[in-house]
Amino acid sequence: MKQLIRLAAVALPALLLSGCIFPPEPKTTEAEEVRILFLVIFALGAIVFVGVEGFLLYAVVRYRRRDDRLPVQHHGNTKVEIVWTVIPTIIVLILFVTSMFTLGSISARSDDATVIEVEGFQWQWTFRYDTGYEVTGTPGDPPAMVVPAGVPVRLVLRSDDVIHSFYVPAFLVKKDVVPFGQGQAPNELEFTITEPGIYRGQCAEFCGDLHADMTFTVDARSEAEYAAWLEDPGEPTPTAQPSIPEDTFVVELSAENIAFSTHELTVPANEPFVIRFTNLESVQHNVSVYDNEETLFEGQAVTGPDATIDYLIQPLDAGEYTFICDFHPIAEMTGTLTAE
Amino acid sequence: MATTTATPGSSAYERSWVLDWLTTVDHKKIGVLYIANSFLFFFFAGLLALVIRSELAVPGLQFVDESTFNQSFTMHGTLMIFLFIVPIFSGFANYVVPLMIGAPDMAFPRINALSFWMLPLGGGLIIAGYLVGGAAAGGWTGYNPLTQERFSPGDGTDLWIMGLAVVGTASILGSVNFLTTIFKMRAPGMTLFRMPIFVWTVLVTQALILLATPVITAALIALFIDRNYGGSFFDPSVGGDPILWQHLFWFFGHPEVYIVILPALGVVSEILPVFSRKPLFGYAAFVWATIGIGLLSFSVWAHHMFTTGVVFLPFFTFMTALIAIPTGVKFFNWLATLWRGSLVFTSAMLFALGIVSMFLIGGISGVMLASAPVDFHLQDTYFVVAHLHYVFFGGAAMGVFASAYYWFPKMSGKLLNETLGRIHFALLFIGFNMTFFVQHMLGIQGMPRRIADYAPDAGWTEMNLISTAGAFLIAVSMVPFVINVVTSLMNGRKAGDDPWEGNTLEWATTSPPPTYNFDSLPPIRSERPVFDLRHRDEVPHP
Repeated sequence: MKQLIRLAAVALPALLLSGCIFPPEPKTTEAEEVRILFLVIFALGAIVFVGVEGFLLYAVVRYRRRDDRLPVQHHGNTKVEIVWTVIPTIIVLILFVTSMFTLGSISARSDDATVIEVEGFQWQWTFRYDTGYEVTGTPGDPPAMVVPAGVPVRLVLRSDDVIHSFYVPAFLVKKDVVPFGQGQAPNELEFTITEPGIYRGQCAEFCGDLHADMTFTVDARSEAEYAAWLEDPGEPTPTAQPSIPEDTFVVELSAENIAFSTHELTVPANEPFVIRFTNLESVQHNVSVYDNEETLFEGQAVTGPDATIDYLIQPLDAGEYTFICDFHPIAEMTGTLTAE
Repeated sequence: MATTTATPGSSAYERSWVLDWLTTVDHKKIGVLYIANSFLFFFFAGLLALVIRSELAVPGLQFVDESTFNQSFTMHGTLMIFLFIVPIFSGFANYVVPLMIGAPDMAFPRINALSFWMLPLGGGLIIAGYLVGGAAAGGWTGYNPLTQERFSPGDGTDLWIMGLAVVGTASILGSVNFLTTIFKMRAPGMTLFRMPIFVWTVLVTQALILLATPVITAALIALFIDRNYGGSFFDPSVGGDPILWQHLFWFFGHPEVYIVILPALGVVSEILPVFSRKPLFGYAAFVWATIGIGLLSFSVWAHHMFTTGVVFLPFFTFMTALIAIPTGVKFFNWLATLWRGSLVFTSAMLFALGIVSMFLIGGISGVMLASAPVDFHLQDTYFVVAHLHYVFFGGAAMGVFASAYYWFPKMSGKLLNETLGRIHFALLFIGFNMTFFVQHMLGIQGMPRRIADYAPDAGWTEMNLISTAGAFLIAVSMVPFVINVVTSLMNGRKAGDDPWEGNTLEWATTSPPPTYNFDSLPPIRSERPVFDLRHRDEVPHP
């Protein structure tokens, strides 16, 4: 027991001092307030912790059984019990009042915020700007949300499938992205970033297989740089559909319930061919072809229900390749493409 | 101190021991069955925890794919809560509550057997998912619409629903039985305010089960209808409300936390007085605090939903914080019980002190999470995982081991080896804190829970490695415990009626007690009848 106490006495402060017990450096005005509240409550908790554990250790050492006498039988003491009911009551009231002040100030909404629509889906994000520009990530290629620093930003959080949660640790606030039913307004999250920088974020509400891959970054820039970027975000212009010669070999593939209809496709080697892909559901999919790590073809995303697209793919050498949906790189949406 | 005569020679009619255990309606044998069954599920769910921790030790997917990982944490949580921690306390309560109140058996012995035998059935159904293409993988909370047919096809989720409905029904039957027993079967002189604290905590726990479990059972059936018969309770695409599931789940789920922890706090309140040789300080206040926690537990459920954006934050912050008051009272009562006591550190006592020190951390982190703005940061991170394990493991599961060391001599008639018990405690205490203390820090740094993998440059690797090492130390700590139980059963020293100088009536009969428990009872004039009998010449009655 004594060794245990000694070990704890050395290990616990070491852990506390490592600094990881405090939240990350706050990067929004709201985060600064949450961090202060955290520290206040943490300090109250620390006092209780030291007091209770200290007395416990004291009692364990001081009141060890030394002889067989029966100690005095205290059954209780009303005055003392009233005092120690009042102490936690006071702590609780402090906690409640400070929490409500913080809650009030971080929930404030401004009229001139930059509005960005965020859509969470299994398993990535789309960020839409009011200029019409949008960026969609894939699990292998997470998106960046470019936002202005120093002015309020409001995110409108939508989902069409399951519940996700928008979380950037440096902002110290998260908000669930809920597929509310008809007529219910989507959740919103407003913040003002205090300094430009790149901040990591990811989905915080468990949403299925590739939940861990729903990462993204927030790229906060000065107002001027943001304005310049928004003028010309360098959007990858959608490539015009190349015309498909009539006698091209066509192989059909469809997707439903986040699964391909087949996991084996066979095409002729050394000539162009078409994957005629039908997406039967209202979830976006695509088909890309890989040779190990190397991308040979990246298909444009298509959202159903019942949307068909022809992917024209350039000649492949005989051999085995992998076709995959970049949005859902799971076993159900992976297959082998054989050129022969 | 012979307060009983010898065990009656035989039961009602001759049966082989296998048939005897399979058909028994004796509350003590059913209690042992509950405990054995719960430890089996504990073993399996513990292996799943090692799968989770192994995968998270370092970045990258090394051992399992995402789908297996998700099944692992779903089944780990479901089995630990519904088939280990709740039923094992039902087992201890089954064994000792009738003894503690001086009753010959439970009120409804056959229903008692029925509610036990539904557990292996329900647990089997839940695990059977592994045989039909994958177990449930929607988390133990089963959030909608993720658990709808279109996002979680496969029979695993349906089996999970069916299994939980069976287990829930068993709990409801059991709670009716306990409540009837405690209200109607107390021995003469055993007034409500002379009941042992453990019986009080079981009483409140069973009342919570009776009020909360039907809600989750109904919600599970609604989900089953959604999945299989075109219902539209929780799926927003057909007019359902996914948040309704969260309300129903947590209306059950938060009282469930107290269903888990209250019996453990009751055990602590039995063990500290016995091994301090003092009465529990402020018995009546402790009882009222227990009742208060039970009542408050029905008004705090939405603190699990602060980030959904659709709950009234001030109310639930306030009600949740209020729970700190009765809980604080309990801590002060325990400390005052130790004060000027005569403490002896048996394994049971070590575990009880371990609960006081570990559950405190769970309580403090709980109060932090009660504050809505702080919860905005910590919700769904590893901080919550750490918090719930300090309550469920540091509090409740440590309580299981405290109960095991405390009541094993009564149940088996043999003493456990104290040295092995101390080794068990030391390894478990260190392993537990290694595993879960760093998870607070992971959460504060922003690591979400339920992710199968994380980036190598996220800065979480060292702490995850420590956590994984701790998890294996917990696994190792179970070895001395198992050795201890097996060797003590085979050739442990005889325990006698009352090896600990106990306070309550179970120590006034033989170890193990005979069928129908008592030939005669000592007079019951306080919550410590056996203490009063032992010291009748020294201490005047209060």
